[in-house]
Amino acid sequence: MTAEVVGGVETAPSTVVSRGRMARLRELAPFVPAGLLLGVLFFAPLAVMLVFSFWQTNANLDIVPTWTLDNYATFFQTSAYLRTLAKTVIMGGAVTAICLVVAFAIAYFLARYVSRRWARIALLVVIVPFWSSYLLRVYSWQAILGEKGALNQLLMGLGLISEPSRLFVYNDIGTFIVLTYVYLPFAILVLYASLERFDYTQLTAAQDLGASPSRAFRHVLLPQIRPGLITAAIFVFIPILGEFLTPSMVGGASGLLIANLIQTFFKNALVPQGAALGFLIVAFVTVLLIIFRRYLRVEDVYARG
Amino acid sequence: MTGFDQGYSRRTFLRLTGALGTTAALGGVVAACNVVGSGAKTTGTFNWMTWGDHWIQTQLDKIAKDVNISTNISELSGNAEGYAKLKEVKGQLDKMSADAMWVPNAYFKDGLVEPFDINSLKVSSQLYSFAREFPYWQAAGGGYMAYPFGWSPIMIYYDPAKVTGNPTDWQVLLDPKYKGRIVVENQPEEIVAYMARAAGIDKPYDLTDDQLTTVKGYLEKLKPNVLKFAQQATDSVAAMVSGEAWLITGNIGNEDRVKDGGGPEIKGYVPSEGTVGWHDGEMIVKEGANKSLILPFLEQSQQAELIAENFLVNGRPLFNEKAYKILTDQGKKDQADRYLYGKAGDVLPKVVLKGPGTSTDKSIKLFNDIFGGG
Repeated sequence: MTAEVVGGVETAPSTVVSRGRMARLRELAPFVPAGLLLGVLFFAPLAVMLVFSFWQTNANLDIVPTWTLDNYATFFQTSAYLRTLAKTVIMGGAVTAICLVVAFAIAYFLARYVSRRWARIALLVVIVPFWSSYLLRVYSWQAILGEKGALNQLLMGLGLISEPSRLFVYNDIGTFIVLTYVYLPFAILVLYASLERFDYTQLTAAQDLGASPSRAFRHVLLPQIRPGLITAAIFVFIPILGEFLTPSMVGGASGLLIANLIQTFFKNALVPQGAALGFLIVAFVTVLLIIFRRYLRVEDVYARG
Repeated sequence: MTGFDQGYSRRTFLRLTGALGTTAALGGVVAACNVVGSGAKTTGTFNWMTWGDHWIQTQLDKIAKDVNISTNISELSGNAEGYAKLKEVKGQLDKMSADAMWVPNAYFKDGLVEPFDINSLKVSSQLYSFAREFPYWQAAGGGYMAYPFGWSPIMIYYDPAKVTGNPTDWQVLLDPKYKGRIVVENQPEEIVAYMARAAGIDKPYDLTDDQLTTVKGYLEKLKPNVLKFAQQATDSVAAMVSGEAWLITGNIGNEDRVKDGGGPEIKGYVPSEGTVGWHDGEMIVKEGANKSLILPFLEQSQQAELIAENFLVNGRPLFNEKAYKILTDQGKKDQADRYLYGKAGDVLPKVVLKGPGTSTDKSIKLFNDIFGGG
């Protein structure tokens, strides 16, 4: 094999370089279908929607390529949209908080006090609801929380109320209950995966060294399961920003969230307006993810293996 | 480290998934080519976007058996959505259902559908004659834009045990006594339109800014009374059956649906200020790859026996006069009359027909403005 000399510097032979490139290309080849699918089915439609969000609709409901910022301006100029977004964020935050608390308690119990075999059975029970359709589950909650629903019957049977309460459904409380039910399993699964790997003798060691149980919990356990907590929060909070089915089914007329308003635009062929509102949510989620990612410290996950 | 984590296994896995992905993608392309490649024919399958009450399974099974024409049905949830969809997919659909003024003012105007000689269909002689002569469905160049199917005004239904005073107008929906006791269908433009009718506005789909301000006041009063937006008509009926709703808005026939569901005896009326309504029909998509199947299909599917059966299943007035006679012969005349079957000529001129208006954008923004934000 002879080396090439370019400008007095000896370089690798071109055949070796091209062979290296070929090898690299061969390594990348398996990713091409996935890349194409992602590009064609996700990024391309997203790009189209982004463009649409800056266009307009004419009287025929046609999308016309006249550039405008009006669709975005409407959001900031209309208090209802800002209030609805704020309400959606508060709802998402509240559901995420309760999901994390409840999921932590369940996952901690399963990881620490239950044998692995029984924990797996319990986790199977947690995911059983996913075997039925989302719509069906939300419909069932209408039957549970409604005026003549199971909950009212139970409370009346226990003598806690004398007549059916309308407190549980077709309002924000109904949305909160059902969203918590829908997203709790995600939080449990993620937190269990974190807590299962934790070495609980560290808590005992911390207490042997004088830490109170709560101090050991805060300074030993929580930092080590932080990636799990943040991942669980992301899994719960972000999908709720796009939730329209649950609020429309159990939220009632006053329980609409931001995705319901977006849906109204799309349902009436006002695509640019809906797209603009949708992209504002995308931007909001992106900012949140950037913030979360900073605290997530992904290397923690890899470091522990 | 497991074998799965080793480089060789990972590479093998990626190659395998890559191959599977490519195969799946190619399969999709081949399937799409097959669809596009199909030509004109007299038997086969066509694609139809329609509402769930435009067909019944026994009807489709019979036609498939008798003339070997079958259909892939996709659910139509609303006129605007269907119109936008057809503009996107064009020839992928062959037949489309739409409401009254959407036919000429949207589909035909955009050249998406092609008119046909309705009298060339023998079955059309079974229709009430006026249904073959809607002036707005007559194409300037000849032909009829759609085959008439059913109709209804939007009415108010109430439980007389809960709602007092025998209401006759829209104002009852605004009465604070009925806070959280009204269920309306999730059709924002229609809600704005009938609140405009409540305000005495004649053109509820072409609202001026001043009129929108007036309607806003009505919607603000309506909002606290609305328990929920029904995703489909059956949700309204279910709310009435369970007693959660005391008043609902909807098409003709809800008295029977509520009663059949085990609910109370309810009453319905067309509000005295006037209402909005619809009559719908079936259109032939101009670029439909299988559009040659539509007229033969209509000839079979619109036969009176099948239409009468559809009436009994879905319960709203239809345009087939012979089907009314069949219902009468079957002892169902009372039911047909209660559903105003055959009264379209009297009722429809009094309602504002659904259609794309000039204020759709502003109506939707108004709806979101009122009902958004809690």
